[in-house]
Amino acid sequence: MRIGILSVAHLHAEGYQANLKAVPGVELIGFSHENPEEGRPFSERFGLRWFSTHQELLAQRLDGVVICSENARHRELVELGADAGCQILCEKPIETTLANAQAMKNVCDKNGVRFMTAFPTRFSSPTQALRTMVQQGELGKVFGVNGINHSENPSGHRAWFANKELAGGGAAVDHIVHLADFFRWCFSAEVIEVYAEIDNLFYPNELDVDTAGLLLITMSNGIQASIDCSWSRPTLYPRWGHLKIEVIGEKGAAVVDSFAQHLTVYAKSGARNPEWIGFGPDANQPMIQEFVNSIREQREPSVTWNDGYQALRVVLAAYESAQRKEPVQLEH
Amino acid sequence: MRIGIAGTGTMGEVHAAAWSTIGVELAGCISSNPTQAKAFGQRHKIRTFANYDELLNNVDIVDICTPTATHKPLVLTAAKAGKHVICEKPIALTVEDGQAMIDACQGVRFFIGLVLRFFSHYRSAKQLVAAGRIGKPGVLRLRRVSYVPQNPEAWYFNDALSGGMVVDLMIHDFDYVRWLAGQVQRVFALKTQADSGAAQYVQVVLRLKSGAIALIEGGWAYPPGVFRTGFDLSGTDGLIEWSSDQPPPLVTFFTPKLEETASVGLPTSGLADDPFAAELRHAYQCIQTGAPFEVTAEDALEALRISLAVKESLETGKPVKLP
Repeated sequence: MRIGILSVAHLHAEGYQANLKAVPGVELIGFSHENPEEGRPFSERFGLRWFSTHQELLAQRLDGVVICSENARHRELVELGADAGCQILCEKPIETTLANAQAMKNVCDKNGVRFMTAFPTRFSSPTQALRTMVQQGELGKVFGVNGINHSENPSGHRAWFANKELAGGGAAVDHIVHLADFFRWCFSAEVIEVYAEIDNLFYPNELDVDTAGLLLITMSNGIQASIDCSWSRPTLYPRWGHLKIEVIGEKGAAVVDSFAQHLTVYAKSGARNPEWIGFGPDANQPMIQEFVNSIREQREPSVTWNDGYQALRVVLAAYESAQRKEPVQLEH
Repeated sequence: MRIGIAGTGTMGEVHAAAWSTIGVELAGCISSNPTQAKAFGQRHKIRTFANYDELLNNVDIVDICTPTATHKPLVLTAAKAGKHVICEKPIALTVEDGQAMIDACQGVRFFIGLVLRFFSHYRSAKQLVAAGRIGKPGVLRLRRVSYVPQNPEAWYFNDALSGGMVVDLMIHDFDYVRWLAGQVQRVFALKTQADSGAAQYVQVVLRLKSGAIALIEGGWAYPPGVFRTGFDLSGTDGLIEWSSDQPPPLVTFFTPKLEETASVGLPTSGLADDPFAAELRHAYQCIQTGAPFEVTAEDALEALRISLAVKESLETGKPVKLP
């Protein structure tokens, strides 16, 4: 199977290229990236063939593409990939506007290709175990849920994360989708109300996007949940941040810390000091495997375009709520 | 100075133990439950007064540990008798009552036991924030989730007596956030209750006038005996994390046995720094010396105002603005 990566603007491209190489039967043909100053070093670092235009890569008779561009360029690359007949795995959030997200769906339908949204939280073993507990009723009636996906400011690694045009916003667009999607999946329900306080509280002088956000959401089955999407970890924090989920139920409570498996390392050479070096399983690997399996088996992937679309709706509702200072309802 | 305790339930016990730690002798106690009062008096080797007036006649300070709904009449009577008042939180069930109590206490000292301010970790974090170590506060996360009080007749269950979980329990963190980062501008809250029984869980998002935002969770929601608290205070220049999940200074490993659960979850601090003793020592010393209290009755009133705004948000499903 022939796979290519369209753009490596997103940091996750570094992990995905290794994940793709690790899947038996997958041939990672290379990646396309228009900026040579970024494309060339990426090529050298990972021993991958670099294509300076997306069209050149797409001319390589690919079966599937992984799209790792800036958020606001997803539509353009999805259209190119779908028109070339490639199955699509698209980085989250799927786009920055509903209209662009819808256009992506249309072009995939027109070309008969399938679209998978990259939500690795669905493939992480502790979150999967949590979902099983919830779905088997082990926690009883759910009283409330807390989702924490707070991190450092990612624009220190990739500047476009704090570019409103390219990213569609800041912390809210960066982090909400993971938890919004997980809650939809875990509780088999849609988000019907969003209340949010969103602001640029951490980098008021350096950045002009939102860097802090707290959401209270209500699901269609009545479950209440909070989401913390803030870029609230200092740059000297021992890791980029956290993904934690707490479900408090009538029969018991469960607390997931997805990256709890880490070593604390104190080293003069460390990028951070101390630094938490993870040793848990990489959730991206089974996610990439699912993309490959869905192509092989010619079936819909387990995470769909609609999953990406519904998560994006929550982000946009959060921005609207923060602006209106009121809860915003979502129709389904 | 002579001290009398009004109310001999859970908090009366806690206060009596704290007074004995400080080395202050109690003059006596009173309760609406004479049997409980008698046992309390014998246990602590203090007098059990026949009525409140008799207690007031024999003390300089009354320490009120009764259900919240009774705070106002007890405080007003004490103030009229010219006695200083130490009173458990919440100050009252309505802002009007709280204000009337403050007004009535103009001639005596009036202290409200917002004990969270005397927990060493909360104090330490406050000092670090005040010293600018995290810069300008941005996102403040606070947790205070306990279990359903195990005494089925407990007055906490009665909203008319306690104001409910939001007023009785979450008020600590509302006060703490206000202490850390100033006045609250807007609140929005969600609540889920058990289909039967008192179990409940509340999440509140607050916007402060400084711009900072906060998430406060509170509840009687965990299995009996589990009480989790914590804070995560982030700002422009730094971050402070603490959670009760962290191991205490003494960890023991024994063969598991069935343990009795305390009827009400009370957070514990370290080994040698009982926050209730610190609180009462502070109140006592301030009354003795005339020094100002670190936490004022007005602070307690503002904390109540936030609690009531949260309840209003829960009732209306809308954000509520504070004055």
